This record gives sequence, structure tokens and C-alpha cells, in this order.
Amino acid sequence: MQSRLLRGDTILKILLAAAALFIIGLLVALAVELYLGASASIYKFGPAFLIGSKWIPNENILGALPFIYGTLLTSAIAIIIGLPISLGVAIFISEKLKSHQTFGYLLGTVVDLLAAVPSVIYGLWGILILIPLLRDYVERPLHNSLGFIPLFSGTPYGFNFFTAGIILAVMIIPTISAVSRDVLNAVPNSQREAMYSLGATEWEVTQRSVLPYARSGIFGAFVLGLGRAVGETMAVTMVIGNIPAITANLFSPGYTLSSLIANEFGESSGLYESAIIEIGLILFLVALLINVFARFLLWRMTRGTQVKV
Amino acid sequence: MKNTYIIIAAIVVIVIIIGGVFAYIYISAPAKKSTSTLAAATVNGAGGTLVYPLMTVWQGAYGSAEPQITVNYNPVGSGTGITDFTKQLEDFGESDAPMTAVQYAALPSGTTALTIPISASAVVPAYNLKLANGTVAQDGLKFTGAVLADIFLGTITKWNDPKIVALNPGIPLPDTLITTVHRSDGSGTMFAFTNFLYDSSSTWASQVGKPSTSPAWPSAPAQIAAPKNAGVAAAIAETNGAIGPLEIAYILENTGQTSLYYGSVQNAAGNYILATVTNIAAALQAGAAAGLPAGNAAWTSVSIVNNIFNDTAATTVYPIATLTYALVYQNQNYNSRSYAESAATVNFLSWIVNSGQSLGKGLGYVPLPANIVSVDDATLKLITYSGTAII
Repeated sequence: MQSRLLRGDTILKILLAAAALFIIGLLVALAVELYLGASASIYKFGPAFLIGSKWIPNENILGALPFIYGTLLTSAIAIIIGLPISLGVAIFISEKLKSHQTFGYLLGTVVDLLAAVPSVIYGLWGILILIPLLRDYVERPLHNSLGFIPLFSGTPYGFNFFTAGIILAVMIIPTISAVSRDVLNAVPNSQREAMYSLGATEWEVTQRSVLPYARSGIFGAFVLGLGRAVGETMAVTMVIGNIPAITANLFSPGYTLSSLIANEFGESSGLYESAIIEIGLILFLVALLINVFARFLLWRMTRGTQVKV
Repeated sequence: MKNTYIIIAAIVVIVIIIGGVFAYIYISAPAKKSTSTLAAATVNGAGGTLVYPLMTVWQGAYGSAEPQITVNYNPVGSGTGITDFTKQLEDFGESDAPMTAVQYAALPSGTTALTIPISASAVVPAYNLKLANGTVAQDGLKFTGAVLADIFLGTITKWNDPKIVALNPGIPLPDTLITTVHRSDGSGTMFAFTNFLYDSSSTWASQVGKPSTSPAWPSAPAQIAAPKNAGVAAAIAETNGAIGPLEIAYILENTGQTSLYYGSVQNAAGNYILATVTNIAAALQAGAAAGLPAGNAAWTSVSIVNNIFNDTAATTVYPIATLTYALVYQNQNYNSRSYAESAATVNFLSWIVNSGQSLGKGLGYVPLPANIVSVDDATLKLITYSGTAII
């Protein structure tokens, strides 16, 4: 009886450890494969590749800066627009709809469904509906009235950083909202009751008690959304214009790391192909860095509190 | 204990049911009758996306003619198609541009690659423009190669530029900014278009360089790059004043569904030709009549566009036509390939070049003219397996 239990436990431990090691092994294998594929380009261009701003494959003049800029800019726009809306939705569902359970449940389900829509559908919707709408009712008025600001100085044609950022915001709102809502629901009611008993208003309860308690979870949701924004390919490729550009003008067409890979990998060969794999390696590292940085911030935020990540 | 027996019994019942279903399907499937003498084999190809819709039609029709042979095609792009072909990973490679000298040199030593045109396409300048009198510009705005080059160089920026107005007297061209649209991914369509621009304008030739599937497009004041023909078409349809090169198959396939109009281009004889299957076929015929290399020679400099660019006698040809090529090794006995695989590959290629050509009409693909088909047939006869010709 004893040995049977021990044997079963040991086997289970081994299997679980194997599964965990497999994931780590996969990550390492991915990094190694990317590095090997990119080695020709790394050797040829060195660190200058990261700051090179020209991309002319026919003449082997290749630099990743426009694409890094595009990825970071569109993700930033997505986060700046998407994060407040997501938090608003999550707080609304979990805090304000407590007395309207059914409606809260319905709204929550709709948000979950939106998170499950494939990204290429967003791309199609973007081209057919969002671009004309944004171009005529948002971008043109912004350009006409605030055109003196460098951000809005270019004539908008619809296929630009701004539209890509908006589409990314639309895509990450469901993700961040869904996770945040779950996190906020998991905050124990004792926290809220304690604040109410001290005479706090509804908003004060949310702001001073619920949100700080759920801080790490919401931050996790934010990182999830940011990861999706950084890696998003099809939806962005269809609306960003695909012209490498480094400019403050939000209405200029641009290019991101993932769009470049999607567009140009199939037709590439030799050094060009190796450079595109290096772009993939850069994207991989950017995503990794964002996660590491987020974890570091989180550690600093929750240092000294009882919340453990 | 009783629960265990019930669970086991349930599992046994499920297994019997699933097994029975499979057995039924297997037994009742009619044996595929084949009158062909070819042994069963799988033919794998990979390459450009231009021919992919036609390839799926061919797979279906060839599957009915030779059911024991399965054909797989992976539209990974011309560049990867050639790379895979060089690594001998496929039975045949496919490319929208012929192999370059560098790519020929990268082939395994002792091997010869055969280049076989299997289909053709043409590039038209598609646009979306509201004229000064409020109507929409219809098919048939006239362009010359030099004017197109200037538009895509960014030198001509407005639709009412004197050079465009001179070609189109009587059409109220507006003072709208031209937005140039091109492919963001590599494409045989772009290769043919930049080939034409390279020939038409020395400024284009010096600034942008040789024709390429992914050229270094100069920056124009308003410029959009979109993925795939569908992306380019959508970008043009969204933007007033946009113009971009589109594959003719895309437009012919989608007539009535798109609001895209396309212009006529001037050929060497001075006539403005609006692309149709007939005049594209005439271009291919005239281009091939100027001479195509033997299948086992280098096809690097083959270009229908170049061949008819100065052909003033060819009055009805459309000037921007291009071939797409299958690549196959002359000696098929490499990497321990079986005779069956080689015979199947040659049979498939021979079928698509002869019987398969007419199947493309519904999709807007132009059938190869007789002179190119005979060059292909001669090339296919060169293919050997251990010294013996397969056909």
C-alpha cells in the first residue's frame, strides 16, 4: 500500500517536472533556432542593425529601427486608449452591476466573446468600416483643427499608425477587461465592507480598497494586453500602410516588426531572409523584455505588501 | 467495484461502435479504378502565390484524371519556393520570376534546373478617381510607361498634371493628390510592373534599380502598401485618387463586385491597349516568338515585357505581361527518389501545360500560346531518370 502510493506520487512528480521542463526547453529551442537563422545577418550588420533606419533589400541595406518604432508606437497608442476603457468596463461590471446580476453577466459574456474574435476579422472590419469612418470623422477633423501639433501634421489617408493603434486598442480591450473583471470579482467582500463601515463612498471604496488589492492582477491583465498588441500581425498589416517610416506624424503610414515578417518572409532568400529572421528575434526579445520589465515593476509595487505574485 | 465494470463496459461499447464505423467506411469505399499506367505517387510543389488559385483547380481536375496521384502545392512565395527547390525538398519549385545567376550558382553541384513556364498573368494600373465633374472615372484612362514611372517615382503628384492631361484630352481630371498603392509582400505582379517601369524610364532604372518582386519603392507624397492583391484592391477602393498595379486575374475574377477601374497602357506600336485575355495572349505569343532559351539553360534574363517593349510590329499586344515558372531538376534520380515520383511529376507538369491551360479562363488566367507550350514540351522531354528519358 505504501509503496504503491509512493510510486504513483513519484511518477506524477516526474511527469509534471517533464512538462515544466518541456516548456522551458521550447523557449530555449525557439531562441536558439531564431539566433541560428539570423546569424548571417547578425554577423553582417552587427548592432548597427538595431539603429539602421533604411530598409532596401535589393541593395542589402537593412535596418530594424522603423519597425521597432512602429511596433512600440502602435502598442503605446493601443495602451493609452485601451487601458482606461478596459479598466472602466471591468470596474463597471464588477462594482456597479452588483445589483443587476443578469445584465452584468450578459455584458461580461459579450466582452469574452469579443476577446475570442480572430484577429484577421478585426483586420477586415478595419479596412472596410473603421478606415473610412476614422479617416473622415476623426483624422481629418483632427488634422484640420490641430494640424500644428507634429502628431497630427500629415494629411490622413486612413492607412496609418493612428488607425492601427485604434484597432489594437479595440482588440486588447476585451482581453484586459475580461481578466480585470475576474480579478476584481475575486477581491473579497470583506475589503469593501470594511471601507463602507468607515463611511467611504462607492468610488472611494473602489479607488482606495478594491483597486489596490487587485493591483497585481490588473497589472497582469495589462501585460497580457500589451503582449497581444506587440505581437498582433494580420489586423495591423491590413491597416497600417506598410511603409517603413520614423516620424511623429500619427497620420503617416508605418510598419511593424510582425507586419514585416508576414509580408516579406515568403519572397525572401539569403541575407534578406536572415535579416527577417533577425527581426523575428528582435520581436521575441521585445516581448520578453516587456514581460520582464512588467514583472519587475510589479515586484516593486507589491514589495512590502502581503500580496504575492 | 460495480462502477468500474460499468465504465469498462461503456468504453468497450464505444470502441466497438467507432471501430465498426471505420470498418464500414473502409469496406464500402469503392476501389479507385484507374486506366493509367502510372504508379501511385505524391507530387509536392511549393512557390509563388500568383498561380495558387489556378493550382487548386488543376489539383482537382488532375485528381480526376489520375486518381492514384496526389498533388500538393504550398503557396509560400517565390523566394521560399526557389530556396526549397535548391534544398531539394520538393518535387517542383514555382516562381513568378526566373532564377537569378546567384540562385543558379547555389544549386547543388552537378544538377541542372529546368525552367518551365506554366501560366501567365498581366498587370494593369487600377484606380479610383472622382472626376472634376463629379462622375467616377471609368475604365480606359490612358497611360504611358514613362507617365506611370513618374507617378510611382513621386514626380507626378496630381491627377491634373499636364502629362496625364495630355494623354487624356476631354476628360475632366481633378486637382486631386495621387496616392500610389503597391504590394507590401513580394509578388510576381510587382516584378512584371517594375520590369515595365525599368524599361520605360531611365530615372526609374537609376533610382530604383532592377525589376524585383519586392522593389525599393520611392517615397511618393501619399503612399500605401497593402498585403496581397485583395489588400491593394481594398486600399485603392477606399482612397479617392489612388492608383496601383493589380493582377488582371483579380479584376476579371471580380467584375461586378469591385468598383475598381483600370487604365490602358501604351505599347511599342503606340496604341493604348486595355488588357483583355486576347491581347495578353498576343503579348505572350509575340514575346516568346522573339526567342526563349532551352529549358536547361539560364532563364535569368527572360522577360516578355523586354521582348515586346520595342516590338513596333506587334500592334495589338498588351505591354505588361509576365510568365510564371515551374522549376524541376533535369536528372530526377537525386535523394533516392523513386521512378514513380519522377514519372508522376513529369506527367503532372505535362498535363498542366497542355490540358490544364483552358481551365484557367474562369479565373482570369491567360492560357499559354502554342509556341510556349511547344518549348515546354521540348523541355519536359529532357527530363531523365538515371539516364533514360521519362517521356
